[in-house]
Amino acid sequence: MFGLDYSWLGDPVYQRWLVDGVWVTLQLALVSSLAAVAIGLVGALGQTLRLWWLDACIELFVEIFRNTPPLLQMLFFYFTLTQIGFTVTDPVTGLQHPLLSAFVSAAISLSLFGGALCIEAFRSGLDAVPKATLEAARSLGYTRLGLFRRVQAPIAARVCLPSLTNILTNLFKTTSQASVITVPELMYAAGQVYSDTFRTLEMMLMVLLVYVTLVSLLAWALTLAERLLAYPGYGKGF
Amino acid sequence: MSPYNALIGGVTATLLLGFAAQAQSDTLADIRERDVLSVGIKNDYPPYGYLDENNEIVGFEIELVRYIANELLGSPDKVELIPVVASNRIELLNSGRIDLIMATLGVTEERAQVIDFTEHYVSAAGASVLARQEARFDQWEQLEGQNVCGIQGAYYNRTLTDHYGIRLVNFTALPEAYRALQDNRCVAMVFDDMTLRQKLGEPGWEGYKIAVEPYEYLPMAGGVRKGDEAFLDAVNAAIVKAEGEDRLIDWEGEYDMPPSDHIAARAEAARAVAE
Repeated sequence: MFGLDYSWLGDPVYQRWLVDGVWVTLQLALVSSLAAVAIGLVGALGQTLRLWWLDACIELFVEIFRNTPPLLQMLFFYFTLTQIGFTVTDPVTGLQHPLLSAFVSAAISLSLFGGALCIEAFRSGLDAVPKATLEAARSLGYTRLGLFRRVQAPIAARVCLPSLTNILTNLFKTTSQASVITVPELMYAAGQVYSDTFRTLEMMLMVLLVYVTLVSLLAWALTLAERLLAYPGYGKGF
Repeated sequence: MSPYNALIGGVTATLLLGFAAQAQSDTLADIRERDVLSVGIKNDYPPYGYLDENNEIVGFEIELVRYIANELLGSPDKVELIPVVASNRIELLNSGRIDLIMATLGVTEERAQVIDFTEHYVSAAGASVLARQEARFDQWEQLEGQNVCGIQGAYYNRTLTDHYGIRLVNFTALPEAYRALQDNRCVAMVFDDMTLRQKLGEPGWEGYKIAVEPYEYLPMAGGVRKGDEAFLDAVNAAIVKAEGEDRLIDWEGEYDMPPSDHIAARAEAARAVAE
């Protein structure tokens, strides 16, 4: 159909490469998404403590990792850290080996990049809780912790879910850059297959379809969570 | 000899199949009349054909072209060097723009259907393995399950992973792969033998060696129009004469190419026939 040739899909070697590639993409996306959300929570909570030196540290972290390309960060963790001495010595051969593997380098940089974006998203969620609501809760006798747990956090979570969906879908797509530091994810596998078969258009269409499917599933799950958690005035209900 | 060349060769081959059948001519008489030999060469592919610091086209194949011109027309200068690329060289030959291809042309079945090959004057090594001097492996099979740095999209990647079970760590470009090898991310690095051997000559690479020899060799030959018997015979005679005189071995030395068993064996064979 349309002159497209997908006969190479029948090749077991290419099937294995592509399935393995999708699997690595999923692993990388999952690990870095969880870590990014965790970093975001810690950072946003840290900012509520109102300690000037902690705020300064968090702000510096956000500025560095939000404002640099993830590809550059991956190359930094993969090559530069090794160059400046992040190595382990092999007890048998005495050779210096890099401390961070390609997957770990990619996962760390994606986590920090996503984490920086999450801190900002969660902070904006906390900031969005109306002052009047907080004052009302305080006048009802909530302690600082109780106020946060029962009033501020539930509202903030619902406010920042849409931007979290954006961040995580973006992070999922950014995993494709890890092919540059040899993480054998979907794009890495796809590149080798079309180099062998010359079916570049067919391969790209297929990769496109896989990403659309996977990212749509992720976005759909997060939207569902948004709806389930919705309450009047915050989040989108059914 | 990238897979890309092979593809383009194949496509060109199909397109020109009908055309080539009609293009029978006597090139030998033709070039004697014109008193010049038009040859398609590479000008960007050291050591075979490239521009030197004076912007002159030089190289191993250029030497051979000049030798052939000398044999056929009596002067190494009666030659018109026309830079070609893999995608147009067969078309240029079959359309009559050039008389001979001497441009790192790999011998393939697809191409043999649309052009005739001369003697296989070079056997270009495929991929070999660069590793530390201490490396104790010297067979491809010994690399099974090992991390070996390589380049994404190389034509031999499938053979290495699927047939030899090597865990390739493939980069997008050579500098990253060399860096990763020196960082010990891989026990070895795999790439075109010629390129790796030239790398060994650079400062900083004293601690490395070619640990595993190529598992395949790809013959390279000149290309002439199909059915152009008299011209093909004359070119072949010139190539064999050059081989018998050890000229190809001289040119290997001149252009810093590693000594090739193929060329040495052909020189012997050429002398044996001559006696």
